[in-house]
Amino acid sequence: MQETPEEKPPVFSRWSAWYWLVAGVLAALIVFFYLFTKNYS
Amino acid sequence: MSFLDWIVLSCTLIFIIVYGVWKSRGQKDLDSYFLGNRSMPWYIILLSIIGTQASAITFLSAPGQAYSDGMRFVQYYFGLPLAMIVICIFFVPIFHRLKVITAYEYLEQRFDLKTRVLTSFLFLLQRALSTGISIYAPSIILSSLLGWNIYYTNLFMGGLLIIYTMYGGTKAVSYTQSLQLAIIFSGMFLAGWMVMHLLPKDIGFSEALHVSGKMGKLNVIVTDFDLNDRYNIWSGVIGGFFLALSYFGTDQSQVGRYLTAKTLTESRMGLLMNGLVKVPMQFLIMLIGALVFVFYLYFRAPINFNQGLLNKVHNSEYAPEMQVLEQRYDSLSVQKAGYVKALAAALKTENESEIEKVKSSLKAAETAGDTVRAQAGRLIKKADPLAEVNDTNYIFLHFVVNNLPKGMVGLLIAIIFLASWGSIAAALNSLASTTMVDIYQRMIRPDGTDAQNLRASKAWTLFWGIFSIAVAQFASGLGSLIEAVNILGSLFYGTILGIFVTAFSMKSVKGHAVFWGALLAEVFIVGIYAFNLVSFLWLNLIGCALVMLFAGLWQFVENFIAAKE
Repeated sequence: MQETPEEKPPVFSRWSAWYWLVAGVLAALIVFFYLFTKNYS
Repeated sequence: MSFLDWIVLSCTLIFIIVYGVWKSRGQKDLDSYFLGNRSMPWYIILLSIIGTQASAITFLSAPGQAYSDGMRFVQYYFGLPLAMIVICIFFVPIFHRLKVITAYEYLEQRFDLKTRVLTSFLFLLQRALSTGISIYAPSIILSSLLGWNIYYTNLFMGGLLIIYTMYGGTKAVSYTQSLQLAIIFSGMFLAGWMVMHLLPKDIGFSEALHVSGKMGKLNVIVTDFDLNDRYNIWSGVIGGFFLALSYFGTDQSQVGRYLTAKTLTESRMGLLMNGLVKVPMQFLIMLIGALVFVFYLYFRAPINFNQGLLNKVHNSEYAPEMQVLEQRYDSLSVQKAGYVKALAAALKTENESEIEKVKSSLKAAETAGDTVRAQAGRLIKKADPLAEVNDTNYIFLHFVVNNLPKGMVGLLIAIIFLASWGSIAAALNSLASTTMVDIYQRMIRPDGTDAQNLRASKAWTLFWGIFSIAVAQFASGLGSLIEAVNILGSLFYGTILGIFVTAFSMKSVKGHAVFWGALLAEVFIVGIYAFNLVSFLWLNLIGCALVMLFAGLWQFVENFIAAKE
């Protein structure tokens, strides 16, 4: 599909940056949960 | 419930209905009724997606799950953010470009009419039955804990929301979901704060977490790989990814939410924000359950949280046996309260040997308590063979009803209704849009005017509302069917996803091959489930892979025969 001007993402210049952000936050959460589990078990 | 609770409950529900009707005036055709004229901003899309996925059971069951099995259920959502990314890249642009009302319209353009109708039918079947259960599941909990008649509760739960869903279509659904979620999150925050407030004064948040963790309730990450274990990081990331991909990418109740967006960007932002907030949100909901567990270490917990069932046993010939079990359970509760105080003291002084000693004693008392609870469960079964003794869904509501102040109980009961209404309203809207667009308008009455189509859409919404309530009423007498209907979604999602993934990625496969490939795959999935070979989360991945495999093979054979001829 052709990208039209209004389909540019907010904040970042490319959609791939948003995708990396979502995947990165998930990875960070999993690391946090792992440490959380270790710390409190 | 007190008079004040009734006032809070009634005012909240009436306010939502009036708000839904008021916000959605001026529907004139299918586009406005089912897509709200494609005018929604991303934050309404986000709230609507969350409101559609989060049913009452989400807010009742998740804390109960943390109480009984720990927080590892959070892993179930780990595949969701990755699915949001894939849907934003592959699914949403196609749906927007083709300007479809339902996801299944695309399948006729890509394959043929029979594939579109088959997929619509699979969706209608599983969504209609599961919507009935979405009405029944919270109703049975409320009726058991508050002594309400189950049939009237079903009617109340499923009936009132039909007013604004039928009148206002998707706009009413989206706007009410936003308001509902605001009320739900406020209530859940207050409930979490109240748990901490009700704990003994010398127990702070950190101590409560340590106690809960020592008792194995903060097991958010489980790294062991086991195909039959529902909740570990592997089934969560891989199985959860395919489940979320099927649900958000091909289930019209979700597709219909993000197709209401103003632009492709707004749809994508709503989905990506859902990927960012869903896991932390679920973590916080489950954390409330882990804290409720600590609360019931200090204070007496009932031997079974389903008060309605306990009352039944107390009115039966098994009452003396139950009293003996309850006395034993109460004395164990007193022991546990002593141990948990000693554990909290040892944690403060960081005395490791004392911590280990007291922890062992507390765990032994907990195990003994679980044994007595299991005995009580068997006794309940004797008194009522059809009874469901698993009380996980009752734990949080029992805590709310028995420990929160007047007014807040009414608010939390209202939250159960609102959470149900959000997901049921979206389901009814999607059932009506699929019936109307993919079947009625496509095959029965293609030349209807805007006014006639709008009237028919409202009639289908009403029809599915009544059908769902009827399923809920029927489920009241057939307890064992509930689990089967819940798993129904997993039986069909993989096949539906497989049809879409084949459409996107296997350009050489035609309609005939994917139609028969999907039917064959469905037979295999039912077989795999019947023989209990894997946990249900994996069925989505297997179903998707089988459709692609069978469709590819079928097309290969067809091409081969055609070439020979």
